[in-house]
Amino acid sequence: MKNTKLLIAGVFLTVALPFGAILLSSQAQLGELGRASVGEGEPLFPSRVPGLAVQGRDVYISVGCIACHTQQVRPAGQGSDIARGYGARPSVARDYVLQPQVLLGDRRLGPDLANYGARAKDLSSVHVSIKHKGEFAFLYSGDAERANALAAYLLSLRQDYSSPEAKLKK
Amino acid sequence: MTQDNRSGRPQGRPPESDSRLSRVEAQLRGPFLLFFVSAVVWLLVASILGLISALQLQGFGGLLNGEAFTFGHVSAAQHNLFIYGWAFNAFFAINLWLTSQLGRFELRNAWLVTLGALVWNVTLTYGVLSIFAGDLNPFSLLEMPRGVGPVLALAFVLAAFWPIVAYARRPTGQSFASQWFIVGASFVFPLTYLLAQLLLLWNPASGVVQAIVHSWFIQNLLLLWVGGSALAAIYYFLPKVLGRNITGYYLATVAFWTFFLFAGWTGSASLLGSPIPLWVQSVGVVGSAMLLIPVIITALNFHGTLSADGGWSRAWNSTTLRFVCFGAVAFTLSGLINALFSFRGYNAVVRFTSFGVGQEQLLTYAFASMVIFGAAYFILPRLTGALWPSAKLVHLHFWATALAVLGSVSASLVVGWQSGNQLAGASGLASANVLFAILFLVGHVAFALNAFGMILKSTAPAAEGRHD
Repeated sequence: MKNTKLLIAGVFLTVALPFGAILLSSQAQLGELGRASVGEGEPLFPSRVPGLAVQGRDVYISVGCIACHTQQVRPAGQGSDIARGYGARPSVARDYVLQPQVLLGDRRLGPDLANYGARAKDLSSVHVSIKHKGEFAFLYSGDAERANALAAYLLSLRQDYSSPEAKLKK
Repeated sequence: MTQDNRSGRPQGRPPESDSRLSRVEAQLRGPFLLFFVSAVVWLLVASILGLISALQLQGFGGLLNGEAFTFGHVSAAQHNLFIYGWAFNAFFAINLWLTSQLGRFELRNAWLVTLGALVWNVTLTYGVLSIFAGDLNPFSLLEMPRGVGPVLALAFVLAAFWPIVAYARRPTGQSFASQWFIVGASFVFPLTYLLAQLLLLWNPASGVVQAIVHSWFIQNLLLLWVGGSALAAIYYFLPKVLGRNITGYYLATVAFWTFFLFAGWTGSASLLGSPIPLWVQSVGVVGSAMLLIPVIITALNFHGTLSADGGWSRAWNSTTLRFVCFGAVAFTLSGLINALFSFRGYNAVVRFTSFGVGQEQLLTYAFASMVIFGAAYFILPRLTGALWPSAKLVHLHFWATALAVLGSVSASLVVGWQSGNQLAGASGLASANVLFAILFLVGHVAFALNAFGMILKSTAPAAEGRHD
């Protein structure tokens, strides 16, 4: 410990090792992941989202929805997400490849939203949910542009397609 | 590590003060007080925001309605201010002071440190206001707009790179455990912060790799910078105030290296079940289990030192050690809980619940913040040359914060475990959370009144009128 250079070099190594071994290798493993279909002639998933939904994602981030909502379904052996009805299959890395900022979230004060679009009944029920009993009424000021964008985004959230890594049980 | 001992002081005890110290401390006084006052102000703001968010969870959202004060904004601002405002400023101050004590370091460029402090706090203010304005990123503790990152990193280097300079230039060959932890922490934070900024905000990694990068950053920040700095303070104050050696001090080297070696691998243990490769998740679990090595060694070091010869009761009767030992016990507990609940079976139950909040509070408050309080009770009288104005406020501070953090952490853990076992979905915490938020605020106001009163009273230069 007398040698400063040795101490700094050692500490640098302790940062570099996990950085290389976990971060860089997972980027190498997942970096090229793209949309895929389960068979020839089948549609590619995840689907691209409409422009209004892209705007809605910005509203989702800017209002801070991620503080209470996650967007990930864990496999049946790891937690009760599927039993709770959050999704029919576990989320896989491919589901997120089109998202510029991944919104997995780490706390559930409200329900998981990974499959919100698949379970929402109709547009008016989505708006009831967005308002949160009035707390988010400010999204409806003016011509409710932001609320409509957010609703389009929430309806675009669905992982109810078969993916090469996670096939839906028929 | 070599165990040479040229000064003749026993191993496992920090060096004694010498006559130059008063001048060293006089140079430090300005920057230290600037950091410290900023830290306490941010702590007060964060406590008020904590109370607001607790009320919001109770359904009193109507109190502060509107776009700026969504729960997402308030809780993100509270979290950032608590970590970057309170913990960072406080550890800037304490690390600087510890460095001067351990390495006979004279701060000749105090204006650079002051500049760093100003830049840090002004940038932080801008970043937090941006969060309220809705300009935020969806990554916890990286919410502030991306332009803030490089400026904060620069300010960090100005404010906190001195321990590394001091270590390189120290006149004696020997070194002490606190120094390694401070040097390591000061080196790791800017590096990992800039890398995380790069891979999340400037040139985002693809898809879920972002989550892996984020979890890696969080562990480096909380364990290595916040945790490492707090461990450095415990390694200093425990033997210093008790006047005895650290039990099993020769193991501290192992604790240091294993702590830094394994902390960086534990991040993905917070992503069990997420759509990331299984091997990454397993690495995180293994890392968390390996982190038990430094947790056990520091437990031997700290609790061993305290257990000998009535150490616990002496610690209880010293204000500094009462807080510091609270932190030492919390660190051991936190390490054990983190390791246990990174195992898949337990983690499956508690993930996404308030359990994680409890785990983080155990680390950042019950451990790190209590150590900061303890250090402040030791250092401030020396630097200001004044006494703490009110013993009653000291008691109020200890009991309010100790009860609040005990209650808050155990409520988060228990409610998290319970709600994870129910299928009905996450349930919020009971109204107890509001009570704890009020208790925290009371404790912090007591501390602030006492500390600010003392700083205002002090007119004497540091060299005169010491009361310790």
